[in-house]
Amino acid sequence: MLNSIPKLIAQAQSGNAVLITFLIYIIAVFIIAGLSNKLLQNRNFLSEYFLGSRGLGVWAFALTLAATSSSGGSFMGFPSKIYSHGWVLALWIGSYMVVPICVMGLLGKRINQVARTSGAITIPDVLRDRFNNVSFGLISVGLIIFFMTFNLVAQFKAGSEILRTLLGPIDAFNSMVEAVPDWFTSMSTQSSDYMFCLVVFGIAVIVYTTYGGFHAVVWTDVMQGIVMVVGVVIMLPLAIYQASDAIDPGESTKTGMALVTEEMSEMVPPRYLTLVLSAIEPIEEDISIPPGTWVSSDGFPLYGDPERIFRTTKRYVLEKATGFAVVEAIEIVSENDKARSWDAFELQNSDDAGIGNQLANLRVNRVLNTASIEIPEDYPVDVKDLNLSPGTLLPFEGKDGVSRIAMLYSLITPPKDRVAGKPIDVYLFQILYTEGTVLENELAVYENQIQEQPHMADLKVSDLDEGFYAYGAAEDERGAYVTAPGPHRSETSGFLPLSLAVSFFFMWAISGTGQPSNMVRLMAFKDTITLRRSIFTVAIYYTLIYIPLVVIFCCARVILPGMEAEADRIMPQMAVTLTSNIGMGWLAGLLIAAPFAAVMSTVDSFLLMISSALVRDIYQRNMNPEATEAKVKKLSYIFTLIVGLGALLGAMNPPEFLQDIIVYTGSGLAAAFLAPVVFALYWPRANHQGCIAAMLGGFLTHLAMYCVGFLNGDGFTPYRLMGTDPIIVGLLSSFVIGFIATIKTPPPADSIVKKYFYRKVEA
Amino acid sequence: MDADVDQIPTEAVDAGQQYELDPTFVNSRREAIVIFFSWFVALCWTIPYCYYNGYNIADPADMPTTFGIPSWIVWGVAAPWLAADLFTTWFCFRFMKDDELGVAGDEEHLQQEQEGEV
Repeated sequence: MLNSIPKLIAQAQSGNAVLITFLIYIIAVFIIAGLSNKLLQNRNFLSEYFLGSRGLGVWAFALTLAATSSSGGSFMGFPSKIYSHGWVLALWIGSYMVVPICVMGLLGKRINQVARTSGAITIPDVLRDRFNNVSFGLISVGLIIFFMTFNLVAQFKAGSEILRTLLGPIDAFNSMVEAVPDWFTSMSTQSSDYMFCLVVFGIAVIVYTTYGGFHAVVWTDVMQGIVMVVGVVIMLPLAIYQASDAIDPGESTKTGMALVTEEMSEMVPPRYLTLVLSAIEPIEEDISIPPGTWVSSDGFPLYGDPERIFRTTKRYVLEKATGFAVVEAIEIVSENDKARSWDAFELQNSDDAGIGNQLANLRVNRVLNTASIEIPEDYPVDVKDLNLSPGTLLPFEGKDGVSRIAMLYSLITPPKDRVAGKPIDVYLFQILYTEGTVLENELAVYENQIQEQPHMADLKVSDLDEGFYAYGAAEDERGAYVTAPGPHRSETSGFLPLSLAVSFFFMWAISGTGQPSNMVRLMAFKDTITLRRSIFTVAIYYTLIYIPLVVIFCCARVILPGMEAEADRIMPQMAVTLTSNIGMGWLAGLLIAAPFAAVMSTVDSFLLMISSALVRDIYQRNMNPEATEAKVKKLSYIFTLIVGLGALLGAMNPPEFLQDIIVYTGSGLAAAFLAPVVFALYWPRANHQGCIAAMLGGFLTHLAMYCVGFLNGDGFTPYRLMGTDPIIVGLLSSFVIGFIATIKTPPPADSIVKKYFYRKVEA
Repeated sequence: MDADVDQIPTEAVDAGQQYELDPTFVNSRREAIVIFFSWFVALCWTIPYCYYNGYNIADPADMPTTFGIPSWIVWGVAAPWLAADLFTTWFCFRFMKDDELGVAGDEEHLQQEQEGEV
């Protein structure tokens, strides 16, 4: 055993560290599940399985709540956003300064007391018993199952995506994916590596959650929480040191983080473009082009500039048969970024024995922009007969009012959809300004073209996408990465306009308080000493996590230029880069486990919430109150397993707008649950009529914002009243409707009020 | 809500049995009001401060920094964050009361077990 340790370390350092860490991590999770299952013996099964026998101590309670609410987003989405939008993300996440005290303190003590008084195990239990109303319990169960089921499918997909992102570059992983049988991948429209990761992730979570129950979930959360904070604390000094070291200070007198911020103030967002790649030398076989490949024009002047550098955003293949590939890419625009990008380009192509040799053979020979050609409805020529061949010249006026001329590269709209009155989508290239002799020559050619085909003069170029950010690329928007609202690719108001800054301040703290998954944890702590110490612990924990994350991934903008091409990979890439640069590649495995741990801790708690709703709230309390413990135990295992497998199957063919569904369900749950729970806990006059109205009012108002957005043609983007998030409108209407409905209906029975708000005075 | 609490007497009489408002409820409500107020104060500081100092900056190249971080982030987010931590510490160890949460039916046998062990 001891002899094998050096070998293991060597393997870890050889690049498979992530895989080894992942395997160790999974084994640890299963050990925890086994230990948790032992606790299920000799205790009230339901209370232990779904609530940990209300006995959580400080570390377990604090870290399970922190890890569950962090979710995968904190370690994948958040770093990606910091990288893409800069320092403004500190303001975006700002209300986390009061999240611990709000989420745990606003409801914690009271909900725990009411749950003990009533013997409740789930949130629907609390609402049903507090008002002695079966319908209220069933409505809340229905809403939890509705929201959580969608969310669970989405989280399974997120888990698979994260695992794929983490393991993607590992050879051993790719070999395993290639061994996956075709019949299995044919069950899904997704790729084979997605399916492989989904099954590995899904089975691991389902098995340990089903077998170990609440305690397994909590203890794995504790482990995951520790992994997360250790990862961040290690990365912070490495990131600041390596970023400032990578900058050529020039005349600047600044050092360290100040130098990094100064460098960021000069950065300009990249352009998103389409490229035509070809091989410089003849090729013997197809060239596989991984996402994130650096390419350049290799001295071939594009628009007169031989020094342009690009990075591909997806996986492509340059086929030997065609000799070219059309790829999506970003172009590095900032001068200071360019220097570092050329270094990365050289490093990539220096790998003589490996793929670098093939990639060095690639050259960009066309830069394309998408646009539309407007064809009048009364156009005299049948559109199908139009001679729109490559090289056709098309003059137009840019958004800046400058006249230009462009060449047609190809048509994107298929022939069957090309009709008069509807724009045809095209790729353009060689866009020229109306200056200089080149243009004069081009205009002369255009005049000839019009003489041959006079009707071509009626065609107009519109919607030209030059690939610039909608906010942050213009001269008067320089410094977007160090100021608010931050750069944004499609929103002209930037990433975080003031209205959204207010919404997010509201959302993290207040809507976090309204999440049933957090509420159920508040029912599980042991006593108020535990609650007080846990609030303090989580506050320190979030301080150690979030501000350092912003600093680390601002540094990433300097250390890893061009990662907008695959921003979701910034966390693992940063971990590998930072640790490799100090010769400790094996450490990357630990850092990369953090995002995987985060998404796992969210999924397991959601899984348990749905199965508890089915077993406790529907079966035991409504269908068979006399069910024996053995039967309840059996059903709990079966339902957890079935719900997990159902979500796994759903994630094999996930619905569209999955990320939007996660946002919708998160805010929708808060809109439906916060007001009724607050009324139930703090308002003796509250009755079931008012609280049901609050719940349905919040749910329907929030849903209405999405319906209006959909009817406006915005797809899954909600209507934003005065620019605010739907959660604000949903919560406000929930509180107002609940209040009015309560005072308009009879007060609750005196016995209920006494039970939950009074205590007997001892004689 | 306070007005409605007042509709129910703080000391109710029921067939000779007297009741008083549960101190856990009273303390929880008092603490919840303070917490909500702290969120509101954080909002009132962070958003206006960042709006006036972080938005519409004329010359980002000359932006002042504190500890290498843009000053508007330090004073608009990081400093109040530390202040919020101090407030949380005071709240948890000085302000918040330890209250009796009761014993659920499913806990009774656990309590008996623990008492037996002792």
